[in-house]
Amino acid sequence: MSTASGAGLELRQLCREVGERRLLDRLDLHVAPGECVALLGPSGCGKSTTLRLVAGLDPASGGQVLLDGEDLSERGPGERQVAMVFQSYALYPHLSVAGNLELGLQVRGMAVRERQRRIDATLDLLQLGELRHRRPAQLSGGQRQRVALARALLRQPRIVLLDEPMSNLDAQLREDLRPELRRLLCGREQPVIYVTHDQQEAVGMADRIALLEAGRLQQVGSPRELYTNPANRFVASFLGRPAINLLSIEPGRQLGLRPEHLHLSEDGAVAARLLRREWWGHQQLLWLDSQWGTLRVLTAPETATPQEPRLSWQRQHELWFDPQSGARLLH
Amino acid sequence: MRLLVLLWSLGPLLWQLRTSLLRPEALVAPLLEGNPWTLANYQLVLSGDPPFWRYLGNSALVGLATTLLTLLLAVPCAYGLQKQGGPLRWGVGLALVAAAMFPTVLLFLALLEMARSFGLANNLLTLSLPYTALSLPLAVLLLRAALADLPGELEDAARLEGLHLGQRLRFVLLPLLGPALASTAILVFLASWNEYAIALTWISRDDLLTLPIAIARIGGGSVFTIPYGAFAAATVLGSLPLLVLVLLAQRSIVSGLTRGAVKG
Repeated sequence: MSTASGAGLELRQLCREVGERRLLDRLDLHVAPGECVALLGPSGCGKSTTLRLVAGLDPASGGQVLLDGEDLSERGPGERQVAMVFQSYALYPHLSVAGNLELGLQVRGMAVRERQRRIDATLDLLQLGELRHRRPAQLSGGQRQRVALARALLRQPRIVLLDEPMSNLDAQLREDLRPELRRLLCGREQPVIYVTHDQQEAVGMADRIALLEAGRLQQVGSPRELYTNPANRFVASFLGRPAINLLSIEPGRQLGLRPEHLHLSEDGAVAARLLRREWWGHQQLLWLDSQWGTLRVLTAPETATPQEPRLSWQRQHELWFDPQSGARLLH
Repeated sequence: MRLLVLLWSLGPLLWQLRTSLLRPEALVAPLLEGNPWTLANYQLVLSGDPPFWRYLGNSALVGLATTLLTLLLAVPCAYGLQKQGGPLRWGVGLALVAAAMFPTVLLFLALLEMARSFGLANNLLTLSLPYTALSLPLAVLLLRAALADLPGELEDAARLEGLHLGQRLRFVLLPLLGPALASTAILVFLASWNEYAIALTWISRDDLLTLPIAIARIGGGSVFTIPYGAFAAATVLGSLPLLVLVLLAQRSIVSGLTRGAVKG
């Protein structure tokens, strides 16, 4: 991605070390104005660390955070105009919904009338007007999340950070809230960073995905780029469910084949035996035993399965990896 | 079972109350005639010179000064300690526990010497200085534990909203520490209210005595009779303010203010 323009949020060689542990290793990332980038990865990969560095809550061990070309590194968290929605929402439990929104404006010395106007507008936007006098303990999980979002947007921040904002909600609600969240967050001027460990959420929310593991950026790009053209074995196996099949067909090379790219046929190259079938309605997942171990195959739900099927695939779908390093081998 | 526990804890108090309301003769043997109940004991105690409420006032003043000073010092200590990582926190915590367990008896001579050379004797406000010093370790430990229970993201959120340290304490942390502050305050106040030895050595003027010393002096008048009734009356009067205090603070101690801060 080009970083020449200077607009938006730019992380340059950002590092964070605690004692001997390297939590984040030279991260380079650019988020354009109005763009939503999802930081995706397993627990402890450095996603939340990155957010805390951008917010200024933890000191960086190296590197820079630039906003519209301006270095934020020397500024404290209160002076960066960063809004963050925390995983726990971090609502002040002793204040009402309106009180939660008001505190930040109040300490900045904003006039009462102006405060009220802004709070009312934000509460309306998020349809929270009726809850304004409730305490956080009296709200449902989804409502708390909306209040946390309202508190973040109220201050008209220059950067919006979201740290697993949906992980405390149940699956159905998560899916329902995604379009609303996108409508509220994306397409404004601010760059948005959205941290999640859920790839569905990342795909649903973000324009681009940055995949992290063990403090290192593995790949950044659109969901389609990461899925069809993974930079390494980790990216290939982290994205996509059911997971990619990894076959040690020949020494020195490992073959990756997505379950939907394997086909049952009469004259396939590989003989297999059906172990189990999971019927999902729109698809079915077959577990097959072959000479390279157990394989996952996705087919249409009504596909008939012979007892002794053979498998085939197209060459263009082959992904080759180095068995030791996991690096992608381009053939 | 519950009744037994209740009796165990309330029994002595009620017995004291009964004693304070009986005529001295009725304490020794059942009276054959006349009403055994009387308020004379209270009258005796309250009409002394200086009157008994004077001692109550003295103790309350020392207690309030001690509590205020202790909390004022303990809150920043606890916050600083909580923000420190690893070995330092552990070391200081250990030192605080050691200080909290140090036998006070060993401090008397030194304290007396200090009172003499700095002219701290016979002053209720300076009496709260050693009391504060003695209460501080426990108060810091209690408040630090309460701070540790608050979710760290709350303070992070406040920092992002531009609240500086003073504002975070004032608007976010202290309100949430309310119950812990109340229970710490009561413990500190109680310790000061009950303290005997230091008050005995630091205060000699009659009108400045604190409650425990004053009560101990009630019996001093005669070798032949022990004024049980007056003792009991003084004790009852001395415990009433504590009772009121605990009843008032009970609500804030019990209410779990932090509920709903994080996912409930």
